[in-house]
Amino acid sequence: MGNFFSKINPQTLRILALVFILISVVLFFSTQVPNYLNGRLFNRISSSVAIMALIATGQTLVILTRNIDLSIGSIVGFTAYATGSLISNNPELSWVFVVGYSIAVGAGFGAVNGLIVAYFKVPSIIATLATMALFRSYLVEFSDAKSITSSHLPQWLVNFPNTKLLEIGTLQFRAAFVVALVVVLLVHFALTRLRPARKFYAVGSNPEAAEMAGINAKATVFAAFTFAGALAGLAGFMFLARFGNITVVAGLGFELKSVAASVLGGVNIFGGSGTVFGALIGAVLVDLIDTSLVRWDLVSEFSREAVLGSLILISVTADAVLMRRLIAMRIKREKKKAEAESTREA
Amino acid sequence: MANPVLSLKNISKNFGMTAALADMSIDLYPGEVHAIVGENGAGKSTMIKIMTGVHQPSAGSLEIDSNAVSISGTSAAREQGVAAIYQEPMVFPDFDVTENIFASSTTEGWIQRRGKLRKKALALIERVGMKLDVDRIASGLTLAEQQAVEIARALSQDVRVLIMDEPTASLSAHEAAQLRRIATTLAEQGVAVVYISHRLEEIFEIAHRVTVIRDGQHISTKLVEDVTSDGMIAEMVGREVGNYFAKAPTHATDETILEVKDLALEGVYRGISFDLKVGEVLCMSGLIGARRTDVALSLFGILPASAGAIYYKGKPMEMKSAKQAMEAGIAYVSEDRRKFGLAMPMSIRENTTLATLAEFLSPRGIINRCREAEVTEAFRERLNIRTPDIEIEVGMLSGGNQQKVMLAKWLNMKPDLLILDEPTRGIDVGAKAEVHDLIRDFVANGGAAIVISSDLPEVLAMGDRILVMREGHQMGIIDNKDASQETIMALATGQTEAA
Repeated sequence: MGNFFSKINPQTLRILALVFILISVVLFFSTQVPNYLNGRLFNRISSSVAIMALIATGQTLVILTRNIDLSIGSIVGFTAYATGSLISNNPELSWVFVVGYSIAVGAGFGAVNGLIVAYFKVPSIIATLATMALFRSYLVEFSDAKSITSSHLPQWLVNFPNTKLLEIGTLQFRAAFVVALVVVLLVHFALTRLRPARKFYAVGSNPEAAEMAGINAKATVFAAFTFAGALAGLAGFMFLARFGNITVVAGLGFELKSVAASVLGGVNIFGGSGTVFGALIGAVLVDLIDTSLVRWDLVSEFSREAVLGSLILISVTADAVLMRRLIAMRIKREKKKAEAESTREA
Repeated sequence: MANPVLSLKNISKNFGMTAALADMSIDLYPGEVHAIVGENGAGKSTMIKIMTGVHQPSAGSLEIDSNAVSISGTSAAREQGVAAIYQEPMVFPDFDVTENIFASSTTEGWIQRRGKLRKKALALIERVGMKLDVDRIASGLTLAEQQAVEIARALSQDVRVLIMDEPTASLSAHEAAQLRRIATTLAEQGVAVVYISHRLEEIFEIAHRVTVIRDGQHISTKLVEDVTSDGMIAEMVGREVGNYFAKAPTHATDETILEVKDLALEGVYRGISFDLKVGEVLCMSGLIGARRTDVALSLFGILPASAGAIYYKGKPMEMKSAKQAMEAGIAYVSEDRRKFGLAMPMSIRENTTLATLAEFLSPRGIINRCREAEVTEAFRERLNIRTPDIEIEVGMLSGGNQQKVMLAKWLNMKPDLLILDEPTRGIDVGAKAEVHDLIRDFVANGGAAIVISSDLPEVLAMGDRILVMREGHQMGIIDNKDASQETIMALATGQTEAA
């Protein structure tokens, strides 16, 4: 058993562990909440996770480079509103243009963050704390404190998130979820297989070495923030399509949830390691726990946050402790192997 | 001779009012190993940084193949075929060996093909001449292995000029020899190798030409056949130094301060037994992996031993924590300045008083900065720390001066037993001699010292007795008068066993 665990790649193991936790949570709630385990649970979670998965993916890119983006919720809110107001005024616009507009607006905000962090060298936690407030105030200004309502939106947009692309029994794969899944998998593939994407890991793993190796660390950090902004923009579009009604508080709190999802998904908060796929599962877990607690009579509405917070704390601590042990085990095993080899040679 | 691949033409570099380089001209030819020597602060680092595009020259120009070029950064330098390897390996701890080698590669296309890269990595590691699993994660590698990875990375790119900055400073004798072979091989393949080392014997072994620089100025460039070790040192320091490797008379007294009996740490080392007199310097010698540092860490309480006994000042003592050891008057100066030694962003003053801050508090618990400054200034003078101001960040100082600040920090504790781990690693001849004098001064005034060193001439110059370890075993203790480089190496490599 121990041998098996020390053989397997730590990242893969982490994802297996997360899936295991995910299943345990589902099983636990199915004993607590009547009528819990059915197709509707999947449909509900998949619809809401579609948005968070995109945001967490962007957040992961940023965290990989040893940074953090706290303004991401404000970017989602702003793009949702801006896209909503664009389309209510010009309902004839094609969807390609509308989606492109959301992504471009998001990327623009992301680029502002990237510029401040990478080129003006302001620590990202400070820079994005400031832009979080600034982007949000800009939204209030921009919207004149008015809301977008779904009645202003064209029908195709309102229908989009719930369009069923595939149905297996009562499980529905809705468009929004499928789009998010495809994007996450694309980014995952890019990060693991495309050479330029290695730079994100390199910069987060050892910024000095990256610089010495001729990697442009500034451009890499800038790109991470811009991509994160673009993904938040796409998430803003999905947010608009799903909820229809957009107020100035849209996307509030998403920044912390996205950090939680990434960290739960095994992304190292100090940069350099983690996967987007892990972040996706982290996002599912956060959403699952959140939604399930609403339906659990034992927990009052007020202590929901506390339960969620404790769960995050416990799982991250357990993860850190376990991973450290596993890595130590691996190193020991490798050492033994090396020793055996050297004695064989001698 | 062919045309130079890279030329520095009358290069000057000023930082504010200080001139780091003045009118420096050097030609590098393909196929040569060109050694550059000079004391710390002589301008070697600045020169490397100009060649690799980190700094831009204030005046003068760089020429590649006789065409003037401006190198805007490390990427641009790599594109021009100029790469550098540093004393402290620059690897990505989260990447495995293969990924490390190709981390910045621009020739592998967009999509990574793991199998193909792995094969190439194997071939490169083979050329480096080191046994290394290319799937291992870099954070688990030893310093020497990380160095090998870095060299493989440079090899993977088409280097025309490879700058090796103190590459062997942290390697064992065997590994250093391997590395020198690589330098020679690369030169044979037509690469211009710039080799910077404080180990002069290395230079005589592999260099074709030697350039001496001092205070940012070019002093001489000669064929290696035309220089002598003494002549080179004289040019480096600008004065005749006495034989700095000479053994000073011992200050050892009859009083025993430390006695260690059969000390062991399971799976790491065992059977360590020695005693140490007041006024004595005991050197610990051995190759990398001899576990000398682990023994030192046990004596300092960081890595408590699992068996055996430590008698300190005549009383049995179980070293359980660094705090306990410090309270008993033991100080440990780590070999890794960056990691365990100094707080790089803090000033010289703050670093000097860091371990003894309690002594600088007023009755109300406020730090007395004037006293801090007084003490720091005293150390600056005593240790000859070269700095315009004690408020300067330690990270800005040269390696030798950082080492002195670290010594100041621990000497300030007024310890009775000083354990120094590779105290002169990567620092220049002049600073080395100064550190040696400091240690001698310390023991002459009633202290005792254990010095871990991989530098054999240093061991012979400093150690009243020399304890040689090999792979966690104590191979023997030799009196200085019976010791030579050969006897120590024979023990360290397990060829002989001392009685």
